[in-house]
Amino acid sequence: MPKKYHIHPKATPLELEYIYKFKIVRGENCINCGKCTKVCIYQAHKRSEADPRIMADPNTAVCRNCFRCIQECPRGALEKSLEKVFASTGGAYWKPDMLLTLYKQAEDGAVPVSGAGYRGPFTGSGFDGMWTDMSEIVRPTRDGIHGREYINTSIDLGRKLNHLVFSPEGQLLSKVPDTVEISLPIVFDMPAEKLSPHIKLAMVRAAAELNTFVIMPVADITADFEKHGDNIIPRLTPAEIDGHKEIIKKARVVAVDCDSAVLSGLATLQEKIKKIGNALIVIRVPAVKEVEYTVAKLAHDGAEIIHIVADYRGQELNSPAGAGSRHLKDIIRSVHQRLVEDKLRDEVVIMASGGVALAEHVAKAMLCGADLAAIDLPLMVALGGRIYEEQQQILVLPEQLSKIPGPVITQRMVNLMGAWHSQILEMMGAMGIREARRLRGESGRAIFFEEIDRDTFGKLFLK
Amino acid sequence: MKPSTVNIKLAPSRFKHQVPKYKVTRSDACINCGTCAKTCPYGVHERVEGHNKIKPPISYKCIGFECQNKDFYCVAKCPQKALSLSLNPMYATLGDPRWTADMITGTWIMAETGAPPERKDLEYNIGNSGGGFDKLRFKFPAHPKKVNKSEISTEIPLNRRNDGRPNVVISTPVYGGGMSFGSVSLPTMTGKAHNAANWNTFTCTGEGGFPENLQPYNDHVITQVATGLFGVREETIQRVKIVEFKYAQGAKPGLGGHLLGEKNTESVAKMREAVKGTSLFSPFPFHSVYSIEDHKKHIDWIKEINPHALVSVKVSTPNDVDMVAVGSYYAGAHIIHIDGGYGGTGAAPDIAKKNIAMPIEYAITKVHNFLKDEGVRDGITLIASGGIRTAHDLVKAICLGADGAVIGTAELVSLECVRCGNCESGRGCARGIASTDSELADLFNEGWATQRLTNMYNAWNVQLVDILQQFGMKSVRELVGRTDLLRHIDYSKETESP
Repeated sequence: MPKKYHIHPKATPLELEYIYKFKIVRGENCINCGKCTKVCIYQAHKRSEADPRIMADPNTAVCRNCFRCIQECPRGALEKSLEKVFASTGGAYWKPDMLLTLYKQAEDGAVPVSGAGYRGPFTGSGFDGMWTDMSEIVRPTRDGIHGREYINTSIDLGRKLNHLVFSPEGQLLSKVPDTVEISLPIVFDMPAEKLSPHIKLAMVRAAAELNTFVIMPVADITADFEKHGDNIIPRLTPAEIDGHKEIIKKARVVAVDCDSAVLSGLATLQEKIKKIGNALIVIRVPAVKEVEYTVAKLAHDGAEIIHIVADYRGQELNSPAGAGSRHLKDIIRSVHQRLVEDKLRDEVVIMASGGVALAEHVAKAMLCGADLAAIDLPLMVALGGRIYEEQQQILVLPEQLSKIPGPVITQRMVNLMGAWHSQILEMMGAMGIREARRLRGESGRAIFFEEIDRDTFGKLFLK
Repeated sequence: MKPSTVNIKLAPSRFKHQVPKYKVTRSDACINCGTCAKTCPYGVHERVEGHNKIKPPISYKCIGFECQNKDFYCVAKCPQKALSLSLNPMYATLGDPRWTADMITGTWIMAETGAPPERKDLEYNIGNSGGGFDKLRFKFPAHPKKVNKSEISTEIPLNRRNDGRPNVVISTPVYGGGMSFGSVSLPTMTGKAHNAANWNTFTCTGEGGFPENLQPYNDHVITQVATGLFGVREETIQRVKIVEFKYAQGAKPGLGGHLLGEKNTESVAKMREAVKGTSLFSPFPFHSVYSIEDHKKHIDWIKEINPHALVSVKVSTPNDVDMVAVGSYYAGAHIIHIDGGYGGTGAAPDIAKKNIAMPIEYAITKVHNFLKDEGVRDGITLIASGGIRTAHDLVKAICLGADGAVIGTAELVSLECVRCGNCESGRGCARGIASTDSELADLFNEGWATQRLTNMYNAWNVQLVDILQQFGMKSVRELVGRTDLLRHIDYSKETESP
């Protein structure tokens, strides 16, 4: 059995204001009777400290929407509404509720649990258009979440052989390529926005604690980062290779942006890098239309790891929004299918990013055919970052972040990943899959909305 | 038809104020003349004799924009034009796409009055989820066979095996879902059971034992045998008419339950036959069931202990739910109870509620057709749950192939649940429905809970009978599997029926 992998969450509040969902306003007809203090079990209502004869303004940050103060106020003096800031943060993809749950997971590292049933839409675009399967009676693994049976979330980076070749004498002739194992099917990527060095350093420390990587532009890798080289994937353009041989030499994995020269001369590029050191090579490919052809070519030419990058909402790049623009889910499915048809799927690692916002997206991306996911914005939400789906600015980090100590930032990222890890275990446990490596492309364990809806309602009602 | 034990009585809200859909605003231009108080028949405005000022408007009593056409419309009547009417921003904080504010408000009215709401401004039958039941509509015939409401039967038999065990019949095709001792307050639990007795139907203990207070309703209680086997004893199995195996729960399929040590209080521990203060795991799945043969052994075991009981098998809705259902039939189950992914819970990981296993709408169709193809559909009762929110959902589920449904959330909403989702956190339910906190569990009594539930069941039954009449049917049993009576707003081409 592999060594058990544990993430150690620690309650780590961030001393900042984040978004709240509700707003309660006390009307002028309040008679300061204090009934609301008695009925509220969350202490949203208190008397004023300065003058106990009057009620203080409600503390809506703790409001859990139980309506008791609203319904029991003898004067009907309290009014509740959705907080404007809440409604105006996020967007159609990064829903404000999603930001709140990520922020909370970064605080306590726990799986979000609540009462009452699911409350969202029946289905949705992207990852919301699929469900995962479970095993009712017979399944190979039990109680994964409670740690009684181990569910392994490790995956391997690197090229794999399609088959082994032996000599007639039984001697292994194939050279088995090196791989690097990471304990989570997640690596960290840098958001497009500039981050201060202390956040980046904290990010690398979190990656080290989690036994994974941060993909970092090579220009950002200053002397401060040198001792963390084991957990950094330097990202560079082909032109930057010559100027950064020292970094490449020490790296376990490097990432190179794909351009037409890389596409036509992958072997030469890989050879060049392999001459410098032993690093595995990630080819970073933008998720444009027909990206599956690019991926298939790279895989055919011997690529080890291919990173497909969609935009921050998981949408295909350079294609007009809406009409025909695919979501990461569909891109991965198509890429996976293409590689299976080309009999190359088992040889290459597919990493997917863009729009991976929740733990469920990691598991779903893998079921669709990715080996692992890369994330950036959720880590920023862990730090109190707000996301806006607007052209001008997508991410706004809190100004006070520079005063937050590095270890707090690291711990919040570790917490978030701890919560995600536990949630992935929940999904895997329900499916009866105990190896994250086996999640990849298991679309039979997924239920896709368009397929099941057509198979049931389509059959019944399309005539 | 409702049994003679059902008495409909007004059971008003236990709170002073309702959650208002509209907001009536009085501006400074008001001269306190009192015209509005005289004109409004609903009591929104009150002018107390001897007071200088008129009281602030009581918005929740307002019927809204439909009042515009009435001659008592206060906004038009006010000589100072000081009144205005708008949608209340508070209403947006109630409910969600699955259970909309209108649906919650409508259910509250049903629980209060025993009848479907008379208000025309509430869309209480269809949610805003954009899929499943919310996309299905009824296709009523233009000229249905004439049927008297008094001739219409809403009874369904639960034993269709013809195996010599009692033929248990329920008077309305709905019964109450399992909610364990500890997860809901005692008045909630006994209110549910008392209502089940009134309606000649059932409620279920959930996993966690059979409290003494339920004993008067033994004939209407399903005792649950779940994976932790907590509170399961020979006498609890012997005293009921139906025993239910819970393999999984729709809201958390494939996941075990975990009762924290601090929640395992003395009374809970006693009921569960466990040691107080220890964490209790309800594992997933049954550790004694690895195959359908093991499953049969389980059912045989219950049948042996109670030779008169029917056996229900509750499962969630994975891809192979149809095969599980057929397996359960061959293993000897009387009822296959499928619990869809969007069902309720006292506590479950959000990731499971949203993502794991399929919605009930698909599962009903799958299971019904598979049982039919196998030629065994008439030998088993198919019960659906997990997302049956309204009487219309119930009828749609039956049209898709279920015999009846189990409801949970609708019952709790009848007891004035607002679906805030904090059932488990801290002291539990702030509204006293799902809490065992000594103060909170005392917010209402069994009598009130029973009446609210009985009223709600009645309002559903009234709607069911009404729909059956519009279809020209004399029994709800004629409705099973009649997908031809439904249309899908995306797939079906016909024009919207009224």
